[in-house]
Amino acid sequence: MGDIVILGGNSHPELVKMICDNLGVHPSRVQLGKFSNGETSISVSESVREKDVYVIQSGCGHVNDSFMELLILISACKTASASRVTAVMPYFCYSRQPDIPYTAKGAPLISKVKESGAINGKEAQSPLNSTLMTHRPGEDSRFKSLDTAIRATANTMDQHRSHSGTNLKNVASFSRIPMIPGGKEAGSARADAGELFNSQNAGYKLWVAQAGTLIANLLTTAGADHVITMDLHDPQFQGFFDIPVDNLYCQPIAQNYIQHCIPNYKEAVVVSPDAGGAKRATAIADSLKLSFALIHKERRSQLLKGPPTTTGLPMASKPLVTTFNSAEMHPSSSNSKYVQTTMLVGDVRNKVCILVDDLVDTSYTITRAAKLLKDQGATKVYAIVTHGIFSGDALSRISQSCIDKLIVSNSVPQQETIEYLGKENVDILDVSRVFAEAIRRIHNGESISMLFEHGW
Amino acid sequence: MSSNSIKLLAGNSHPELAEVISKRLGIPLSKVGVYQYSNKETSVTIGESIRDEDVYIIQTGTGEQEINDFLMELLIMIHACKTASVRRVTAVIPNFPYARQDKKDKSRAPITAKLIANLLQTAGCDHVITMDLHASQIQGFFHIPVDNLYAEPSVLNYIKTKTDLANAILVSPDAGGAKRVASLADKLDLNFALIHKERQKANEVSKMVLVGDVTGKSCLLIDDMADTCGTLVKATNTLMDHGAKEVIAIVSHGIFSGAARERLKNSRLSRIVCTNTVPVDLDLDILDQIDISPTLAEAIRRLHNGESVSYLFTHAPL
Repeated sequence: MGDIVILGGNSHPELVKMICDNLGVHPSRVQLGKFSNGETSISVSESVREKDVYVIQSGCGHVNDSFMELLILISACKTASASRVTAVMPYFCYSRQPDIPYTAKGAPLISKVKESGAINGKEAQSPLNSTLMTHRPGEDSRFKSLDTAIRATANTMDQHRSHSGTNLKNVASFSRIPMIPGGKEAGSARADAGELFNSQNAGYKLWVAQAGTLIANLLTTAGADHVITMDLHDPQFQGFFDIPVDNLYCQPIAQNYIQHCIPNYKEAVVVSPDAGGAKRATAIADSLKLSFALIHKERRSQLLKGPPTTTGLPMASKPLVTTFNSAEMHPSSSNSKYVQTTMLVGDVRNKVCILVDDLVDTSYTITRAAKLLKDQGATKVYAIVTHGIFSGDALSRISQSCIDKLIVSNSVPQQETIEYLGKENVDILDVSRVFAEAIRRIHNGESISMLFEHGW
Repeated sequence: MSSNSIKLLAGNSHPELAEVISKRLGIPLSKVGVYQYSNKETSVTIGESIRDEDVYIIQTGTGEQEINDFLMELLIMIHACKTASVRRVTAVIPNFPYARQDKKDKSRAPITAKLIANLLQTAGCDHVITMDLHASQIQGFFHIPVDNLYAEPSVLNYIKTKTDLANAILVSPDAGGAKRVASLADKLDLNFALIHKERQKANEVSKMVLVGDVTGKSCLLIDDMADTCGTLVKATNTLMDHGAKEVIAIVSHGIFSGAARERLKNSRLSRIVCTNTVPVDLDLDILDQIDISPTLAEAIRRLHNGESVSYLFTHAPL
């Protein structure tokens, strides 16, 4: 392994070390930091001239910071005459973004009010704010909310306004798209949203910019010659690149786990928590000859399908999937809607269920699925997840959920997960060997196809 | 049905500046939603049709924690506009981020400014408006037109109206800024002095040597940016030690990161003046701001109408 250089970013130093241990090389010394004004500063301490460079950076933590760090590292290696630079991104950031901008119960939200932590925290607890989308409002209080005022409930609204007023001077809130209120909010907020969707935006459907192509192009622009990643949410993402992309699979490792660590696995049912993951789950079910079940859910809000009716915006009138604790808040209607919109296809009664998903972020989907499985008589629920982002209050939701055991790969750091959920409830799948072997094979110009089928 | 009119989009970095530019132009800011998911990815929603319009995105480089977030916001917004079939996207970046990492000053150092230029072009940017680039050579990193505006005309107005011109002397805190100061000195017909500094590490300054006589003078210390303010404060001390009457610092970009606030508070500066290219959250009595939004607004108007912007290099619009 003479001319190989492994550089690790800040996002996941443990994985870098494990990959290097597997390869039997030392990671190259690199100084990563920030200038006083926040600009990312890097400095590569060893020569990379005519070397085969692998930059390992997962898309986790402060995503934009780690992504910029990756771009700067790649470009630094390129300008330092590296012969080839490969970006190793165990979790590929921006590979999944919802295409529906707003649901009735929340949306991606930036929140920059500095003191709003407590308020946001409270909201996070409230089932009112549970969103249908997998991503939910950011609770990162560093980001100023230009529209929290509209989203917030009536009493928190005033607090927000006063915060915004003192901190942000004259924020151009008029240019912002107000949030659709998340439930039984003040009438004024509802009017705002209704106005936006009825009059000002007549004939125009809101859409969310898809960053996928952009991210691919940015990597190429920075100078990446090759990309290694794992379990891309959309396999089509590979097509966004003009450079080779090796998409590794976690499936062999997951299968291996099922076979060795789940007692009596032959009686278990593999379950996909949504229709999109059906293919991934059936692949595992087929190769292990297990039965398969599917949870189908309606993710869409009716809001976007037509103009709101006069009773339009309150959540109760819509067939929304609610979280399991919503019964306390909305005893009547929401629960019945729950059954209507989330369906289980397949039989799980008195069976052990293995939920399989590629990505768990806010954990709404998977905890909801686990609850449904238990309701349908499943004895035990395992959840096998490739990328465990667990943003927001995902971990607390999982710890309160019906998931008996969480199995997650170390494509993003899982230290916090283990600490939060307890060692006995979490198993970590080690993907470092797959990445190390892929790097070794790519470096030596060998085929990596066998990694797709066999665990390593 | 296209009107090909100006559409102003604002990122989250400096909403106040975007608003004054929009007021100045009499064009409301277009509806955009720039949010962050809980997993810290950026999400952009354009709230109205911008097909075949002339789009200007106002986003500056600022924020000790968020500078990369703002950069990604800008890139995603540009990309979103491009995919929404706009006629032209212009990035208005009053303070160009990473402008100081513009050369390979040691082995394997990244030329990040060049990378940023490439990223902007990859995202689909057609034109860039910026102000007081740290090194004007950065314009050459782009394959697209870059209008590097100057805060100098606005600064000239400020000096003429708000300082003791008769007893003033201009001072450059380092050799690199000598040209900038000399140009100002010519226009004001003032003398100028120079401080030579020996820098050992980034964000740290060591020894200072004053060239010129400042005894009893009101010194105007001119620089393109004030970041940690180490240079400014040391230069101020040097000037005061050499018998200056007072020191007023005038900078284009007031970044004021790290210990800047404390340093300025305890310094012997009688005034610190910066423009509003970046939001300043300093809360000091000695702070004064110059509004450069007229220049940016006029540049946008002229660019849209296909007029020359050279006038703005020497004149500040009223």
